[in-house]
Amino acid sequence: INHIVHNGGLYKRPFNEAFEETPMLVAVLTYVGYGVLTLFGYLRDFMRQWKIEKCQNATEREEQKDFVPLYQDFENFYNRNLYMRIRDSWNRPICSVPGAKVDMMERVSHDYNWTFTYTGRVIKDIINMGSYNYLGFAQKAGTCQEAAAKVLSQYGAGVCSTRQEMGNLDKHEELEQLVARFLGVESAMAYGMGFATNSMNIPALVGKGCLILSDELNHASLVLGARLSGATIRIFKHNNMQSLEKLLKDAIVHGQPRTRRPWKKILILVEGIYSMEGSIVRLPEVIALKKKYKSYLYLDEAHSIGALGPSGRGVVEYFGLSPEDVDVMMGTFTKSFGAAGGYIGGKKELIDYLRTYSHSAVYATSLSPPVVEQIITSMKCIMGEDGTTVGKARVQQLAENTRYFRRRLKEMGFIIYGNEDSPVVPLMLYMPAKIGAFGREMLKRNIGVVVVGFPATPIIESRARFCLSAAHTKEMLDTALKEINEVGDLLQLKYSRHRLVPLLDRPFDETTYEETED
Amino acid sequence: MNVGVAHSEVNPNTRVMNSRGMWLTYGLGVGMLHVVLLSIPFFSVPVAWTLTNVIHNLGMYVFLHAVKGTPFETPDQGKARLLTHWEQLDYGVQFTSSRKFFTISPIILYFLASFYTKYDPTHFILNTTSLLTVLIPKMPQLHGVRIFGINKY
Repeated sequence: INHIVHNGGLYKRPFNEAFEETPMLVAVLTYVGYGVLTLFGYLRDFMRQWKIEKCQNATEREEQKDFVPLYQDFENFYNRNLYMRIRDSWNRPICSVPGAKVDMMERVSHDYNWTFTYTGRVIKDIINMGSYNYLGFAQKAGTCQEAAAKVLSQYGAGVCSTRQEMGNLDKHEELEQLVARFLGVESAMAYGMGFATNSMNIPALVGKGCLILSDELNHASLVLGARLSGATIRIFKHNNMQSLEKLLKDAIVHGQPRTRRPWKKILILVEGIYSMEGSIVRLPEVIALKKKYKSYLYLDEAHSIGALGPSGRGVVEYFGLSPEDVDVMMGTFTKSFGAAGGYIGGKKELIDYLRTYSHSAVYATSLSPPVVEQIITSMKCIMGEDGTTVGKARVQQLAENTRYFRRRLKEMGFIIYGNEDSPVVPLMLYMPAKIGAFGREMLKRNIGVVVVGFPATPIIESRARFCLSAAHTKEMLDTALKEINEVGDLLQLKYSRHRLVPLLDRPFDETTYEETED
Repeated sequence: MNVGVAHSEVNPNTRVMNSRGMWLTYGLGVGMLHVVLLSIPFFSVPVAWTLTNVIHNLGMYVFLHAVKGTPFETPDQGKARLLTHWEQLDYGVQFTSSRKFFTISPIILYFLASFYTKYDPTHFILNTTSLLTVLIPKMPQLHGVRIFGINKY
């Protein structure tokens, strides 16, 4: 499972990443589970259509039945028959700040999750393993909160304008200079929404006639930005450098599809930490490839900024590389800084260009002042500029928590995906019934987790995803681990066979096909 | 849960048949069907084999060639809404390994059924027609073709 890669001295420390393969029996049982659910889904649809059973979701009015249908019934099949059954594991209403512990409103359903009613009781102090609270800045008291409250009374809550018109506050300038100093780049620009940072800025950077090489498991914001730009998109296998090199070679040798002209630009889109897999990008190799084939690199550090690296500067510092090698460094303030919004950092010419041409700068409102102050205070705390060592302690606490949690889970025998140093820990569940069962059992034991299944993940790889935080103390982690152990025994989730197989469990020669848009 | 949240696969339906263990599950399913039919005391061995063949082909026709679209909303604005699952496999690329497997398996079942029914004429007609209903839609020339407008929308 573990394969230490040194690759000619590119890596300064061992890179341990593991994706243990699904056991065959588990895969067969998962398909049987989905098959049974599908058959029952058809049966229930049949009963609903013939009015044997009451139909609970929205239907067209009687007068409209003869028209062409507004939506296709079948597209909702999964939603009606699978998602509704386990819907109580998602969209849970919380009523306190989602720090290391959170309060949740209890709700029950008397008609199998079609409607919910609140019992009025509040479940207190649930250990929160689902928030992206990597450095624990989601607090309701502390220096960040006081500073933000002061700025709120001074500047107000809203900006009411875009960056280019009247919405450029001195706080924004201060923030951008701070972000540029934090990352070690020449200049940076901050936007109001992390998703919009990707989807609005990639179209400003590439257009028709350019090539985008994006990782298989890139987030929806990167995919949307790539599609909106109009460039040709080619997908390489997840974190697989041979696949990326092959695509680069083909692109340079063959050029554009019909005219064989050279590509105007080649942009490689990768993420720092992939949130569903917990894997870290092989940045040294990507940068080596980028330099060899003279393309550009766009690094989305949404989950890795603040969470990796000895002083929290992200994946570039984690590998000991220079930030000048990455052309566009993008990140969000949502995860480690406890705020909202995103940023892009890079060379001064690039950021000046984005200030003029980015859709966000022209059409979207800028960040709200108290949020900006939260980011400034938390970033200064991480950098140590507020005079305390709280920031450094938090970064170290997160790293310790990560190592401890992953080691204990592996020892218990669960299958965990991802890199040893990533604070995102996916625990494999595989079967559709266990998704719902795991979420509910953990809530009964006062632990809140996030579970995901098909179609957000491949069909046999549904998982529960734990996000560790610097705010979790060792006692909380021990409680959580004890409960996970119990639930694992109850639901028989300990699939791992501790085998030692070579890396590249996902062989490169497995051919896949992608949509071609000619 | 939405499609396309954590990966850039636009239509997961295209990859389902390639996943690990799907072919084995399919084989086990057919085997289980046959064993259940064999254990019913009223059916003789030839009848059980013909029934396995016919029910398998009926199921395959319904799920691969009759049902259209995806059971979830996809981010590509419904490009696959009018396509059957067979047409969606691997984004329409022909002669991939999944397609070859699912073309060959009804043929193998047909050979076995013909052998066990001792090439009796009635059984032969039944088995052959049901094999043809499941083989003809798989031909690449019939990709996207709807005869007489049946199942078009």
